[in-house]
Amino acid sequence: MNLRLLRQTLRWQRVRLLVVVVAAIGWGMLMPFVYSQFSGAIREMANSGAIPEEFLNIGSGSLFSLGGTVTLGLQHPIAIAMVGIFAVGASSTAIAGERARGTLEVLLARPLSRLSLYWSILAALLLAALLVLVAILAGMVVGAGLVGLGEELDVGQMPLVLLNGFGLWAAFTTFGLAASVTFDRPGPAIGITLAYLVINYFLEILGSLWTDVAWSQEYSLLHHFNPGEILAGDANPIDLVIVYVAALVPIVYAILVFPRRDLAAPA
Amino acid sequence: MEGAPPTAVISTRGLTKHYGPIHALVDLDLEVRQGEIFGFLGPNGAGKSTAIRTLLGYLLPTRGGAQVLGLDIVNESVEIRRRTGYLPGGIALYDSLTGEEVLDYLVDLQGRAPLRRAELCERLELPGSVLRRKVRDYSRGMRQKIGVVQALQHDPELAILDEPTEGLDPLMQHAFYRLLDDLRNDGRTVFFSSHVLSEVERLCDRVAIVRAGRLMAVHDVDELLARRRRRVMLRWRGAAPDPTTLPGLEDVRVDGDRIIGTLSGEVSGFVRAIASPSLEDLTIEPASLEEAFLEYYASDDADEGSDDPAADQPAEATDR
Repeated sequence: MNLRLLRQTLRWQRVRLLVVVVAAIGWGMLMPFVYSQFSGAIREMANSGAIPEEFLNIGSGSLFSLGGTVTLGLQHPIAIAMVGIFAVGASSTAIAGERARGTLEVLLARPLSRLSLYWSILAALLLAALLVLVAILAGMVVGAGLVGLGEELDVGQMPLVLLNGFGLWAAFTTFGLAASVTFDRPGPAIGITLAYLVINYFLEILGSLWTDVAWSQEYSLLHHFNPGEILAGDANPIDLVIVYVAALVPIVYAILVFPRRDLAAPA
Repeated sequence: MEGAPPTAVISTRGLTKHYGPIHALVDLDLEVRQGEIFGFLGPNGAGKSTAIRTLLGYLLPTRGGAQVLGLDIVNESVEIRRRTGYLPGGIALYDSLTGEEVLDYLVDLQGRAPLRRAELCERLELPGSVLRRKVRDYSRGMRQKIGVVQALQHDPELAILDEPTEGLDPLMQHAFYRLLDDLRNDGRTVFFSSHVLSEVERLCDRVAIVRAGRLMAVHDVDELLARRRRRVMLRWRGAAPDPTTLPGLEDVRVDGDRIIGTLSGEVSGFVRAIASPSLEDLTIEPASLEEAFLEYYASDDADEGSDDPAADQPAEATDR
């Protein structure tokens, strides 16, 4: 890994990172507020049958507990978009984008191995994704305190929530970067990575809304990050194994493929 | 170093690169000596950039191998790039950075001090006011100048330059030529590709001619210039001598009191033969390398009769 490259990659992301971190804190703070304000009303609506039972659990989260709301907040498209800016957008364009612009040429004219380039960019992107995740969780803890629900949130479980969430987003980040080292243009890399995320999201939501295909959730990486269960002390170690293996496989692919790839002159 | 054999800074053995059925580079055997400016000459698509990119580790050879600065191009590519300066053809830079930031960033990654930057910026007319502007505001020529500076600012032992004068105005081209002359005088080696024959003629000690991925010839530039044909016109007062008696003169046409022809080989014998008080006028057109180059390819066309880069039969190389 090259620290200069890592530093510069983070420097290039700094404005975007700052904006997203602030937004992530705000989003995190909103979740306990939503729970405190709407949980009772939704429970009443559910009891009266106004909301179909299938719609009470969206993904792995729900509004019936603070833990469920935390899960809902982390699986919500807004949270996915915030972490996804780095884990999907920046990762899939990182190397393919440099290649398409032609700047990979001058970069690799330095005494940098391709693996060093790969590890440096991966480290920067993982750090960015981690910061956004920390910001969301920190916002949730602060928000719970502000609405007087601090005691409902087991802060002692937060490191495990972070570890599991980081594994999940590391899986998307490494997938995006693996796509990025494969293609000469960012378009296909973004497309494939986005499709990977959407399929995972679709399987998770589909299984929660349609009980006949509840099994589909097992095939979604998003299903293997359930902060509600972790906060309730029901963490499943298999979830950790699954997300970290999913993060590792694209790394193995990238370190096998990228150094052996021919980098012909850009068009 | 006098008397010692020149060290090979670049040495390739049967270096070959195929892209599927396309034979981009075929059995390249080449030696570039320390302290020389070596031109790598060929038309577009001849395999010049492929050769350079293989030497620098962007491409893996299909077969064969090469050493740069005594280091293997496949296994020691990082070390090669530590000691080399590379200017890619049609260089792209980070538009969001200033010229100075680009140079700082790249030299930082190089891990060496920018020993020559100030001198290069001065000679290429890149003052601080220009360097502080964003690259996105640069003209093509200014980008190329930054490209040259980034390739040479850390004072590399070997400079590999792909079409280096592309986009430079004539004044800057001459400043760049003087820069390369000085690098050579400092014992640095320069390997550059070009299809601009005048700059190869002006700069290079030796030149390799490539075509369709194959090395056609390696020449001393002086030798190549000496071998080429020159257009000659003589005008006589009174009776002209029998043109067939003039050494080296071919394609002769007599037009009144003028003799027009082409001269190949040594000039001195020809000049001695025509020395006469009756000689009223003599024009020997300064033949360019371009003509020699075109002659070279014309004769090769006749031999080969094909321009297929994937052709299996190598054209006959001369002077190797």
